Amino acid sequence: MIAITVFSTIRPLRMQLKLPVVGDVVLPIPGRLFLPILFAVTAARPKLTETLRELSFIHFARWSLIRRLPYNGPPQRKRRFRYAHMYFESNFNGGWEEYIDAFSHILTDGMTAFWGSSFGFPKPLPTAPFKTYIQRNETEASHYYCAYPEATTTMVLRALELDGRLAPLRGRAAQMDPEAFAAAYERLLTDVQGCL
Amino acid sequence: MLRRRDPNVVGQAYGFQAMTPIRPGEEDALRAYLEGLYDDDRPSPLAKLERTHIARWVIITDFVNDRAWGQRRAEHLELPYLVFTSNFDGDLDSYLDELCSKLATEAAEVWGRCVGCPVQAEGAALKAYLKHNQVDCGLFFTPYGDATVPVVKDALAQREQMIAFATDSQGLDPAALQAAFVREFGG
Repeated sequence: MIAITVFSTIRPLRMQLKLPVVGDVVLPIPGRLFLPILFAVTAARPKLTETLRELSFIHFARWSLIRRLPYNGPPQRKRRFRYAHMYFESNFNGGWEEYIDAFSHILTDGMTAFWGSSFGFPKPLPTAPFKTYIQRNETEASHYYCAYPEATTTMVLRALELDGRLAPLRGRAAQMDPEAFAAAYERLLTDVQGCL
Repeated sequence: MLRRRDPNVVGQAYGFQAMTPIRPGEEDALRAYLEGLYDDDRPSPLAKLERTHIARWVIITDFVNDRAWGQRRAEHLELPYLVFTSNFDGDLDSYLDELCSKLATEAAEVWGRCVGCPVQAEGAALKAYLKHNQVDCGLFFTPYGDATVPVVKDALAQREQMIAFATDSQGLDPAALQAAFVREFGG
């Protein structure tokens, strides 16, 4: 499993979007206002994260918008940042290059919406400048832990689906007639082939 | 009455993030300590928190500034920050209670190097410190937020078991197949 952590700085008054039919547009909307709306709408409508689910390589991901940090006393300074900053982290399987490629090619519009207000964001395509941008803004974790490091997201999802499908047969296997059990088992195997 | 959705929650999973400023002069020692936690012979201390799916410690030294990007004024962190994120099962309070008790030794080495951390980096004082420094998620995503760590681990083990069983049980007559299945999976 691979961890990625990216900080980007939000432009005060520039929002780059990719709209259907119109294509790339730049609007004078502050990202610090637009992004919370985008986050809320995305969270409220699971359909918007469907592609992310279908890609099936992210275990957990988060985006946070930071405008100030809690004060803990000196020598920390009490301050509100001049710019908003976006923290992004993702936990995924596969290689770094493949991950960024998939993001760029398949989630082009979503990437533009999420990072379009960040300074230096070069658009998701072509991928080379985008990868350079990510590398410049990325910080490596000093310590990383996963409870099931060998499992890909697909394996987890398939295993959970299998569990749901296997449970009914597990529950009644001992009480069944052998012939009926064998038939049910064959049906189950056919049904869960995609989970194995 | 409308209830605002908790942005840190998906299903039963909680996404916690705390950012704490590192005391001047402590960054290198903290980095060395955290990197030293990687050891093939012993598990990560975070494994003691059995509700944790995935967690990390990251040291952020500064924001990235570049005038070529049209950023007219640079912005810097006055201190490096330690970011701790954890994706875990259930509610935050009980998770932090566990963390502040089971991770007391490591917490002293980790958050003990941060500004404002209680002298005794454990228990209620550490919990209050971490909650004070919590940064809410804007958007938290996971495709299996309803599955706890034990459920995921059991399902993965069962999948392996099923793959092996499907191979090994080929050619068995119905009665032998049923008996083998009940032995393997119960029923």
